[in-house]
Amino acid sequence: MFPDAAPLLAVDGLVKRFGGFRALDVLSLRLDAGEILGLVGPNGSGKTTCINVISGLYRPDGGDIHFDGRSIGGWPSHRLVHAGINRTFQVPRPFLTLTVRENVQVALAYGRRGDGVADVDALLLSLDLDAFADRPAKELNSAQQKMLDLARALATRPRLLLIDELAAGLNAAELERVAVKLKDLARSGIALLVVEHLMGFIDQITDRIIVMNAGKEIFEGRLAEAAANPQVVEVFFGAEHAA
Amino acid sequence: MFLYSLLAGFLFGLYFSLIGLGLNLVFSVMRVVNLAHGDFLMLGAFLAYWLFTLFAVNPVPAVAIAFAGFVIVGLPLYYLLVPRLLRAENPEMLSFILFFGLSQVIEAVTTIAFGTSERSIPGDQLGRAVAVVAGLFAGHTVENGPVELLGNTFPASWVASGIVSGCAVLLVYLYLYRTRLGYLTRAVMDNRAEAIATGIDVHRVCAVAFGIGIGLAAVAGVFAPFMLGSITPAMGTEVTVTAFAVIVIGSLGNPLGTAFGGVIYGISYMLMQSYYSSWANVLPYVLLIVILLLRPSGLLGRQVRRA
Amino acid sequence: MARHLLLILLPVVAAFAILPSVYTNHLMLFNFIIFMTLAQGLNVIYGFTGYLPFGYVGFFGAGSYGFSLMVIHLQAPPFVALLIGAAAAVALALLLTPLLRLSGVYFSIANLAAALAVLQVVSNPNLEEITKGPYGISLRGVFNPTLSYGTAVAVLAATLALVIYLRNSHFGMALKAIREDPISAGMAGINVVRERVVAWLLSALIAGLAGGVFAWYVSVFYPETVFSVEFSVFAIVFVLFGGNATVIGPILGVVILYGIYNAVGISTPQYFQLIYGVLIMGLVLFLPNGLVSLLQRWGIDVP
Repeated sequence: MFPDAAPLLAVDGLVKRFGGFRALDVLSLRLDAGEILGLVGPNGSGKTTCINVISGLYRPDGGDIHFDGRSIGGWPSHRLVHAGINRTFQVPRPFLTLTVRENVQVALAYGRRGDGVADVDALLLSLDLDAFADRPAKELNSAQQKMLDLARALATRPRLLLIDELAAGLNAAELERVAVKLKDLARSGIALLVVEHLMGFIDQITDRIIVMNAGKEIFEGRLAEAAANPQVVEVFFGAEHAA
Repeated sequence: MFLYSLLAGFLFGLYFSLIGLGLNLVFSVMRVVNLAHGDFLMLGAFLAYWLFTLFAVNPVPAVAIAFAGFVIVGLPLYYLLVPRLLRAENPEMLSFILFFGLSQVIEAVTTIAFGTSERSIPGDQLGRAVAVVAGLFAGHTVENGPVELLGNTFPASWVASGIVSGCAVLLVYLYLYRTRLGYLTRAVMDNRAEAIATGIDVHRVCAVAFGIGIGLAAVAGVFAPFMLGSITPAMGTEVTVTAFAVIVIGSLGNPLGTAFGGVIYGISYMLMQSYYSSWANVLPYVLLIVILLLRPSGLLGRQVRRA
Repeated sequence: MARHLLLILLPVVAAFAILPSVYTNHLMLFNFIIFMTLAQGLNVIYGFTGYLPFGYVGFFGAGSYGFSLMVIHLQAPPFVALLIGAAAAVALALLLTPLLRLSGVYFSIANLAAALAVLQVVSNPNLEEITKGPYGISLRGVFNPTLSYGTAVAVLAATLALVIYLRNSHFGMALKAIREDPISAGMAGINVVRERVVAWLLSALIAGLAGGVFAWYVSVFYPETVFSVEFSVFAIVFVLFGGNATVIGPILGVVILYGIYNAVGISTPQYFQLIYGVLIMGLVLFLPNGLVSLLQRWGIDVP
């Protein structure tokens, strides 16, 4: 890594308000290509809001988002996708009546990034969805629908992937496979921002984490160091454990 | 002219509130769009007409008969249609189509039974009841005739419709905020899933709300011959659109919101009638569209826009 | 796609081209063509994007009046007038694009209100100079049943071709994706707002062409005729009954239901109203995806 090089994603002083509530309260972060950054924090601390703003679901109320040197704050989702940003959803959101294959095909046709013929079957195979390719997505179970979210995102060839609680609800074997998959993606040069509650999973895949509370960053560094940080401990376990 | 329009608009506004009240209740409690609302109103109007011509029943007692009768019709109808609907993937949209089908059935059956000719009840019938009630309050006999308000005279039937409508709004408000079942109804309105989780018998609450909603439509129907002109089996659709305009203007759930919407609607309608009468018929439609577009989730209290 | 054009579009168009020489009730055949066109036009917006336009007839009426006013005031030749009529429908749809921000039933109601508002404006006695107000339109000068019938067949052919394209293309798939989940559609790289508006305008264009050719064929009509909510309602029921977002669903719906209508509906419309009211309710409760969903349930891919 070259410390002077501009990061792939640079978030500066991001603010998002809902009425009087500041879901994101001046949040800043950096993410380089090929890096996996974990975003952890208690419920309501602003992790998913952060992903929603970066992926264009919400307009930011303040601050800047730079991706690959361009200011992208407030862009509509499809433009962000074309620029190379994609995501998965905490509650998976496939196109339920379309077949699994069509779910991916439509993203291939409209995601328009890079060239080369992308292979739908290979992509489905790599996420264990090949057996259901011609079934409607509503027949998949929740874990499979999460994989389909991921497949759709990958079909658009993202350079930045925002992962919102992909691991929740997976069994041990599935967790292991997903961890390997995400590390492979990072090795191929994709930057990953991973929101997750499962600390074991975070520990296994991330290089670095940011701990959030009330829309603010309260810690940045390695997970092991976070456990020793009194502010983090207080947020997670309450004040009596902090001392 | 201006004061007259304002007062007439207020009286009609109260009546429009009554038209919207039942639709609002059904929609806010079970997210079901009763597109047959106007047809239930039409049936109430036919009931009143029938009671009057066959048994000479005055429209005022007909209100009680219509309400009770249609609540009784509404309860089984709820169990027949709605629970099945709520299990579907998109109940709101499906309810729209289902109740459209029901509206066609009601309209067709009424046409088969009564033909397409227009019917009306003499306006002084309602006036007579007003005179009797006013007489009770005043302690002496009151002449049956137009009513004077702030120097303007109005048909007694308008005043009577307005008063009954206002009472209906208040009664629904008291039901929702002062009774146990009403309290449960509001719980279902706020969060259906949570209401189920806390052990509320949601279907019972909804069935009662559905019955009341249809009963209110029928009550509004009793006054339709005086407020909306002569009655025909095909009058339902227009009434449903009007009811929608009213509840869109007012806010969802709270009956006082519907009253507010009805009065705004009634006054603007009467002002249009007085000053641009040839364009007054466009008003409900334009008002509906403009308000839907300009007032997103906020005053309606829920998300009506997508993406 | 070529297979669908050959096996669906060709037989339907051939049937309507040949039938007039063996069957004498041409008006009925013409009405079949109009309803098939409207049902497919509605299929474009409702079937593929999920917006149910109760005021779809507004575009039909706009097409009729666009056509007629061009003929009356500017003595335009029918084909020019037809294009202007279609343009009028598209212009109305453009004016109404903000309605697409409304979800579900709010959209349907607002769209119905819009169609009724246009009717009130067109039939307003104050505009008699321009629209002939409530007194209706008479176009005897351009009356030409053969040519207008042929044009109606051509409009139907183009409409079927469009729906076959949607059924087989990425564009149609994208529209269905938007219908399922607009947010996910955005994350698939689809410009949700743009594609939705394109479908909306295409759907209005079809209704506008149908309305124009209807005015040309019947040549005498009242505002209530071409703005009758029944056009919307019939088209919706035909699509629902057959099955939306397919090519043959709406065709089946029109052939079966409009067939029944012609058997019982003309002499006793209230009985037909009763039948389709019951049918609608039965469909919603027991077969919400139409006749073709029976086939789909058995694993048959219905075009």
